Amino acid sequence: MPENISNKYDAVVIGGGIAGQETALNLADMDYKVLLVEKELSIGGKMIQLSKVFPTLDCAACITTPKMSETARHPNITLMLNTDVIETVKTNGHFDITLNIRPRYVDEALCTGCQQCEWVCPKVVEDSYNSNMVGRKAISIPFSLANPKIAAIDMEQCLHCKKCEKVCVPKAIDYNMQPKRVNVEATSVIVSTGFNLFKPKNKPQYGYGKYPNVIDAMQMDRLIAPTRPYNSLLRPGDGKVPDNIAYILCTGSRDSSIENAMGCSAECSNNPICSQICCMYSIKQAQLLMGALPLADITIYYMDIRAFGKGYEEFYQQAKSMGVNFIKGKVAKVTPKEDNSGNLILRYEDVATGKLKEVKHDLVVLSVGVLPNSGIVKTFTNQKLELDDQRFIKQVDELVSPSLTSIEGVFVAGTAAGPKDIPDSILSAGSAASEAASYIKRFSN
Amino acid sequence: MSPLNDDKDSITSSFYLTKQTSFRIAMKQRIGVYICHCGGNISDYVDVEQLSKLIANEDNVVISKDVMFACSDSTQKDMVQDINDQKLDAIVVASCTPKLHTHTFRNVAIRAGLNPYNYTQVNVREQCSWAHSDKPMDATIKAYGLIRAGINRVKYSEALENIEITAQKAVGVIGAGISGMRAAVDLARMGNHVYLIEKEANVGGRVAESGKLFMTGENGKDVIDRLYKRIKEIPEITVFTNANLDKVSGSIGDFTLEVSVKDEALKLNVGAVLVTTGFDFYQPKEGEYGYKLSDNVITLQQFNKLIETSNDKLVYNGNAIKSVAYIYCVGSRQSKGENKYCSRQCCSAAIHSSLNVHEKFSGVKAFHLYRDIRTYGKQELLYTESSRKGDIYIKYEEKEPPAVEVKNNKTVITVKDYLTYKKELSFDVDLVVLVTGMVPRSDSNDISSKLKIPTGSDRFFNEIHPKLKPVETVIKGVYIGGTCQGPKNITESVQSSLAAASKINTILRKGTLELEPIVARVNAETCLWCEKCAAVCEYDAIKPIESNGKMIAQVNTSTCVGCGICGPVCPSNSIEIVQFTDNEIESMIDGFMEKAEINTKQDSQENEISSGKQIKLNGFPKIWREIASALDDKTLTIPQLSEQLGVESNVLTWHLMTMNRYGVVEPAGLDEDEAYYMYKLKK
Ligand SMILES: Cc1cc2nc3c(=O)[nH]c(=O)nc-3n(C[C@H](O)[C@H](O)[C@H](O)COP(=O)(O)OP(=O)(O)OC[C@H]3O[C@@H](n4cnc5c(N)ncnc54)[C@H](O)[C@@H]3O)c2cc1C
Ligand code: SF4
Ligand code: SF4
Ligand code: SF4
Repeated sequence: MPENISNKYDAVVIGGGIAGQETALNLADMDYKVLLVEKELSIGGKMIQLSKVFPTLDCAACITTPKMSETARHPNITLMLNTDVIETVKTNGHFDITLNIRPRYVDEALCTGCQQCEWVCPKVVEDSYNSNMVGRKAISIPFSLANPKIAAIDMEQCLHCKKCEKVCVPKAIDYNMQPKRVNVEATSVIVSTGFNLFKPKNKPQYGYGKYPNVIDAMQMDRLIAPTRPYNSLLRPGDGKVPDNIAYILCTGSRDSSIENAMGCSAECSNNPICSQICCMYSIKQAQLLMGALPLADITIYYMDIRAFGKGYEEFYQQAKSMGVNFIKGKVAKVTPKEDNSGNLILRYEDVATGKLKEVKHDLVVLSVGVLPNSGIVKTFTNQKLELDDQRFIKQVDELVSPSLTSIEGVFVAGTAAGPKDIPDSILSAGSAASEAASYIKRFSN
Repeated sequence: MSPLNDDKDSITSSFYLTKQTSFRIAMKQRIGVYICHCGGNISDYVDVEQLSKLIANEDNVVISKDVMFACSDSTQKDMVQDINDQKLDAIVVASCTPKLHTHTFRNVAIRAGLNPYNYTQVNVREQCSWAHSDKPMDATIKAYGLIRAGINRVKYSEALENIEITAQKAVGVIGAGISGMRAAVDLARMGNHVYLIEKEANVGGRVAESGKLFMTGENGKDVIDRLYKRIKEIPEITVFTNANLDKVSGSIGDFTLEVSVKDEALKLNVGAVLVTTGFDFYQPKEGEYGYKLSDNVITLQQFNKLIETSNDKLVYNGNAIKSVAYIYCVGSRQSKGENKYCSRQCCSAAIHSSLNVHEKFSGVKAFHLYRDIRTYGKQELLYTESSRKGDIYIKYEEKEPPAVEVKNNKTVITVKDYLTYKKELSFDVDLVVLVTGMVPRSDSNDISSKLKIPTGSDRFFNEIHPKLKPVETVIKGVYIGGTCQGPKNITESVQSSLAAASKINTILRKGTLELEPIVARVNAETCLWCEKCAAVCEYDAIKPIESNGKMIAQVNTSTCVGCGICGPVCPSNSIEIVQFTDNEIESMIDGFMEKAEINTKQDSQENEISSGKQIKLNGFPKIWREIASALDDKTLTIPQLSEQLGVESNVLTWHLMTMNRYGVVEPAGLDEDEAYYMYKLKK
C-alpha cells in the first residue's frame, strides 16, 4: 500500500475471503474504485486453506489463486492487508473510515518473497495456516500461495537475533516499522468478514485437544491438500498412516447443549442452527481419502445428510457407492483406547438397531460448524449495524434484497450473513455487488 | 470488422486471412528469453542456469537470462528495458502456468511498446519441475524442449489487436418471476434499459401464487406487489406480459429478440440476455403414494392453497382435517428414476406449512415421513420448532417407501421407521400431503434451443462452472438466474439473478466490449463450404458467405471461442485458430523434439546453498539437534524416535514435520507394516 494512495473510494470491502474478492472484482470491473481491507497478511480467507472443493472436486487453489492474483492486480482495487477497521462513521451520506495497518516488519515494496530469511530464522512457531499441525518460522511468508507473497515477522516470537536481516538481499527487513493510521472516505461499505469455525474444545466429550488423533475438519482439509504440512497423509499423534477414520458430523451445530459455543457469554451458549457445509465437506474429504488411502475404512456418523445443492445428492450417492460407510447415530463420547496405540473408542447410539455401540478408529475428524464472525459491528459507531438472532449480520429484506443491512449503504456478502458454501458465497457476493453498484450509481449521477 | 489490425507483419485487414498470408509473416528475429527460478520452485529441479546459457545459442535469440522471480517488479522493469535497448520483437517467459501470469507479461510487452501477442509463456513449473521433482535431470531436458518449442512458436507469432464490438446497453430478461423482476430493477438502476418478457398475463411467477413464505413470514402476493410497484416507477424497464420469445439472433453486445405480444411482433435489440424462467412442480404420477386414487392425497401446493383459503377450521372435501401425513422427496432423489437431485427447498417448505397449520388451526396432528431432513442453515429453526410443537418424524428409506392405501374409507399409511429400528408402523390420517420437488419447466427445451443454452444431466440449464462462472452459459452474453439453473429458495434465486445482473453490467457498462482475438479464421481461396466445420461448431459461429463468386465459411468473431474443434474436420485444411496455426504448432513439435545435450548438474549440494536450504542448527530448538543426532547414521520412525528421545510422539511429529518442511530431514520410505514412514537426515 503505497504512501500516496487516494483516500476516496466508491466502495470499501471488509474481508478478503472468496466473497470479499468476488464483490471487489465485480465492482472494480464496473470501474468503481475499491479498497479491500483484510486483517490477515494475505487475502484468500478459508478457501485458500482447502484441498479440493465439492461437488466438482476442483483443486481449491486452482480456483482461488487466479482470483487472488486478479484481485491483487486489478487497477481499480487497492489492497490493505494486516489492517483493522477502527471506526466507521456515516456522515452526509458517505462513510468516514479509520483504519490501522499493523506493521509486518518487512518492506512490501522490497521483499521478493524469496524466503531466504525463513530458512535461517532459528525461531519455530505454530503455523496457523496449517491449523497448528506443524511449525513455521518467526519470519516467514504467510503460506506458499499467499498473495501478496511477502514475508512478515511475528514480533512477539522474534528473538532479535538479526539473522534474517543479514541474509535479506534487497534489505527489506525493518524491525522499527510502526503501525499506521489511515483515514478513507467511501460511498458504500461491504461487509464480507466471513465466519469462525466452531472451537471443538467447547465440545469436551469429543476429546479435542486432549487426544492428538482427534482433529477438526479444517485440519483434515490441510492434511489432504497438495500443500500439506506433512510428507504424506499422516495422523498428527504419531505420524501413522491412518486406516480407519471416523467423521462426527454436526460437531457444534444443531446443538443446544454447548456452553460458550461462540466464545461470548450466556446469550450464545448454544448453536441451534445447521452449518450447511459440513455434511458436504465431510463427504468430499471421505472421497478424497478413498483416493489417497485406498485401503482405509471411512465411517461418517450423521444425523441427516444435507446434500441439497446442484449435484450434491449425486455426490453423496457416489461416496456411498465408493464404499464410504454412513451410520445414522449421535456420538456421545470419544475416549482413548487403553493400549497406548493412540487409537480411539467412539461410543454412539446406532439408530438402525437402537443399540449403544462402541467402535475403534485410529483417527477421528470433527466436522465442526460455522459460527458468526461479526465483531466488525462494533466499529460502526454512529449507526447500528444490526445482528440477527444467531449473531450473523442481519439481512433486513432477506427475500427480495438479501444484501441489505440495517444501515443504508452497507451491504453484506458471503458467510457474514449466515452459513454458505463457496458457490452460494460467490452468488451472494455477486448480488451484494449489484446492490452496491446500484447504490453508488445514485451518487455519481 | 477485423479481428486483426493492419500491422505490417500480419499483412491484411481482411476478414478472411489466408494460410498463405501466415507464411508471409516475417519470422521474429530478435527474441528475448527469460527463465525463472521461482525462488527454487523451478531451479531446485531444473538447471535453469545451464538452460539459459544453452538457449542463448538458439537461432533468433538475442537475450537469454535466468531470473529469480520473473514476475517481480524489478524483473519486469528489466524486461521493458531489454525490449527497448535490444529492439526485441518477441519475448518468451519460461516460468509458471500461463493461467497465473499471461496478463502480467502481456502488460510488460505493452509497456515496452511490443504487441502483447508477440509473447509466449512456457510452463516449466506445473508442467515440469513440480511434476518431475523426483527426476531433476529429465525435468531439465523436458524444460529445454518446452522452451525451444516456445521460441519456435513465438517466431511465428502475429501481432494481434483485441476485437472491439459495440454493446447495446439494454438487457432482455426472460421470465418475470421474482428472480427476473428483481434483476430487472438492479440492471435498470445500474444504467441499462431492461425488457422484462413474461409469457403469462401477470408477473410474479410462483411467488405470486404463494401464501406465507419462509423464512420471513411475508405473504408471496404482497412481496410481488411491492416489487411490481417499484418496477412501474422505473422508466428504464419495459414490461411485456403475454409475450412469447419467438426467435433469437445475433451475439454478445448485439442480440435481436423477436417477441410476439398478443398480435404484435416486436424486435428488441439487446446487449445481453438473462434467462429467469423458473421451474415446474413435479407432478406425481397416478397411483404414486395413492395420488389420484384417493381423494385424500394432495400435493404440498394444493395443501398450501387449502391453508390459505380455510378459516377457523381446516376442512377438505367437507371433512375436517385432524391429522396430516407429509411424504417427503416425492419426485426427487430418485436413485433409479429421472430426478436424481434433491429439490433443496421442499423440506423447509413442508415443515413451514406444518407450522402454518399449527398457527392457524388447533389440534392437527402431523406425521412427517422423510429420508433426511434438509433444513440447512437457519432453516433448522423451523425443524426445531415443529418438533417442539409435537410433530412426529418417521424416517423411511428409498428402498422401502411408505405405502398409501384406502381401507374402509380410511387412508392408511404403512411404513418402516428407521428411527425405531425399522419397526413397521401402520396408521390412518385424514390427509396425505406429497412434498413434491422442482423439475425443469416443460417448455424449457423451447427456451434452451432458441438461446442454445446447454442443460445438465438434471435437465436444468447449465452454468459454465459452479464457482468460476455460476451465472454464465457457454453462449457469450446469455446468463441464467434463479431456479431455471437448479432448485433454490427465494433468497438464493434472487442472489443468483442479481449476481447475473452484476456480470451483465460489467460487460455492458461502457457500450463497447473487447474480446480476445484468438478465434478461427478461414482461407478464402481453399475453402469449399462443405459445412463440416459449421456442423461441429457448438457455438454456431460459422455461417456461409459469398466470396469471389463461391460460398465459403465465415467466422463470427464475437461468438467464436477459439476452441479449435473446426480445424481437424476441414478436408482442405482451410480453417485454423489464430495463435494456434499449423506453423506454430508444428514448429513447437520440432523444437520440443530437437536433440538435447545437457550436462549433469554440477555439485547439486552447492547449488542448494543458493536456495538457502543448507542450514546450521545452531540456535535452533534443542529438539531439532537431538533429532538430527539420532538420525545421524540411521533411519527411524516417529514412534522409535519418540521412545529414544523420551519425547511425546505428537510433539515429536510436530517438530520432525517442521524439520521436513525446512529440508533438514526427509522421508526414507515406509516401514515393513506400511504404517509409519522412516526418516533420515537430508544430506
Ligand atoms: C473444513 C472445511 C471445508 C470446506 N470445504 C468446502 C468445499 O469443498 N466446497 C465449498 O463450496 N465450501 C467448502 N467450505 C466452505 C467455505 O470455506 C466457505 O463457504 C467460504 O470460505 C466462505 O467464504 P467467505 O468469504 O464468506 O468467508 P472467509 O473465507 O471466512 O473469509 C473472510 C475473510 O475476511 C477476513 N476478515 C474477517 N474479519 C475481518 C475484519 N474485521 N477486518 C478485515 N478482514 C476480516 C478474514 O481474514 C478472511 O480473509 C469448507 C469449509 C471448511 C471449514
Ligand atoms: S530476528 Fe527474529 S525473525 Fe529474524 S531470524 Fe532472528 S528470530 Fe527470526
Ligand atoms: S450440514 Fe450436516 S453436519 Fe453440518 S450442521 Fe448441518 S446437518 Fe450437521
Ligand atoms: S429438500 Fe428435503 S424433501 Fe426436498 S428433495 Fe431434498 S431431502 Fe427431499
